[in-house]
Amino acid sequence: MKFVIKQLPLVCLLLLSRVATGQVSVFACEPEWAALAQEIGGKHVSASSATTGMQDVHHIQARPSLIAKLRQADLLVCTGAGLESGWLPVLQRRANNPAVQTGAAGYMEATQYLKLLDRPLQVDRAAGDVHAQGNPHIQLDPRNYPPIAQAMAGRLAEIDPQHAGDYEAGLSDFLQRWAAAIDGWQVQAQPLQGVQVVVHHDSWPYLADWLGLQRVGTLEPKPGVPPTSAHLSKLLQQLQEHAAAAIIRSPYQNAKAADWLSQRTGLPIVVLPSTVGGNAEAQDLFGLFSDILQRLLAITS
Amino acid sequence: MTLDGLDPAILGPAMAAGLLVLATHVPLGREVLRRGIIFIDLAIAQIAGVGVLAAHVMHLSDNALVLQLVAYGAALTGAILLYGCERKWPAVQEAIIGSAFVVSASVGVLLLSGNPQAGEHLKELLVGQILWVDYPQLLHVAVIYVVVLLVWQLLRVEQSRLLFYLLFAITVTASVQLVGVYLVFASLIIPALAVRSCVTGAAWLGLLAGTAGYAAGLLLSALLDLPSGAVIVLSLTVLAVVVSRACAAWARSNTQRV
Repeated sequence: MKFVIKQLPLVCLLLLSRVATGQVSVFACEPEWAALAQEIGGKHVSASSATTGMQDVHHIQARPSLIAKLRQADLLVCTGAGLESGWLPVLQRRANNPAVQTGAAGYMEATQYLKLLDRPLQVDRAAGDVHAQGNPHIQLDPRNYPPIAQAMAGRLAEIDPQHAGDYEAGLSDFLQRWAAAIDGWQVQAQPLQGVQVVVHHDSWPYLADWLGLQRVGTLEPKPGVPPTSAHLSKLLQQLQEHAAAAIIRSPYQNAKAADWLSQRTGLPIVVLPSTVGGNAEAQDLFGLFSDILQRLLAITS
Repeated sequence: MTLDGLDPAILGPAMAAGLLVLATHVPLGREVLRRGIIFIDLAIAQIAGVGVLAAHVMHLSDNALVLQLVAYGAALTGAILLYGCERKWPAVQEAIIGSAFVVSASVGVLLLSGNPQAGEHLKELLVGQILWVDYPQLLHVAVIYVVVLLVWQLLRVEQSRLLFYLLFAITVTASVQLVGVYLVFASLIIPALAVRSCVTGAAWLGLLAGTAGYAAGLLLSALLDLPSGAVIVLSLTVLAVVVSRACAAWARSNTQRV
């Protein structure tokens, strides 16, 4: 009883924030987490994303609605591992919502539930924009979703215990459909095993790891820094030695570098959605991976 | 159309930042326009940014206070150099300022090629976003601006070019971190342009047009859910056109009466 009285203001706050809509309000940093919350929570959840599939998540433009939405959010879901470090802390500070501050039950980082690729052995400042915790672009390996989905269902149940059973059911339904989808994709993706590609910059290691794609070159060795002529001539030389099948870039990456290389080598350019909403076909998590596979398979056939 | 963003807790600090920036930039901007050196704010901001990058390369950047001192130090050094150029080659000062901008921006790119991580900090410095501002952050800028305005009024800066350059460097280094380069340029030049042909009360009309521009821009960006900085630049421009037309009409009717 004492505990209840002590925590009463907090409980009231939690209740109040949800009374307004009757739904758990999920604020996702990236569209893939909003899509995942919707898959698990269904009608009990209203999810929105701070960024879209057509933009570079490292930078966002401040809009009043972003602060307003985070003020009312019950759960904040981000990738973490430094991906949003340029804007999330200021946004959290401006929203001033205790429920979603770092460390609260209403804040989760997807990368905490996975082992990240490209984790540097030593953090060396000279190596450029390396993420000390590893590569944060985890959304492109479907095998990464189940542990994150489990954690998210747990958080939703904690925030909205009334519907804990529905979240549990939503989770197991999603996991079942997802496992079946992965099986299908992996059969489809057999021909991609060992296919060699040039990437715009290192945002595709998880996709490559899942499909067995081999990266034979990177157009922009350090993100944000234009390639030097020495790098480009080395890249052309590399491509003469190992013939690649395609150049991969995402919709928001500058087309010029890929076009330049394509003109000199005759390699096709494949623009892959890097998350949900990255193109007209990738409207949910299932559509995202189906579309990526179709576009990649088109170059091998 | 959304009403969510119409929250004083969201728009209040941004509007306060706008008023602070206008209080210093409208008088400075009229001076800048009079001297024909409109790109000086871009050059100074870029030089401050290069100072910060250099601090990163030299691993001096872990302390926020040190970083600020480096930024202000670089901006003041740049201002003194530009002042020297103005004394020596007054006829080509605008060209020199433009060149200083591209040279410092290029030096920045070269420094970045060895240390891309510093790019984030450069962006933080040059691309301040007005909505991220909160009241504690405004406090130190307010203190700096009060000192700048007092010096400006008491020492009659129009008389001393060196003092003008120094005050300008301090003001712009503070404001780009608050609202970003676009809004700094817009707050400096657009109200000043608007009141160019106003016969009386030009200083107040400039402040009024600027304030209305910020208020309208913030409200529109909240209602239409658009990035605030860009909407404010456009609304400032619309109000500037209105004010300058009104002033011109007023001047015409006065001459007719005489």
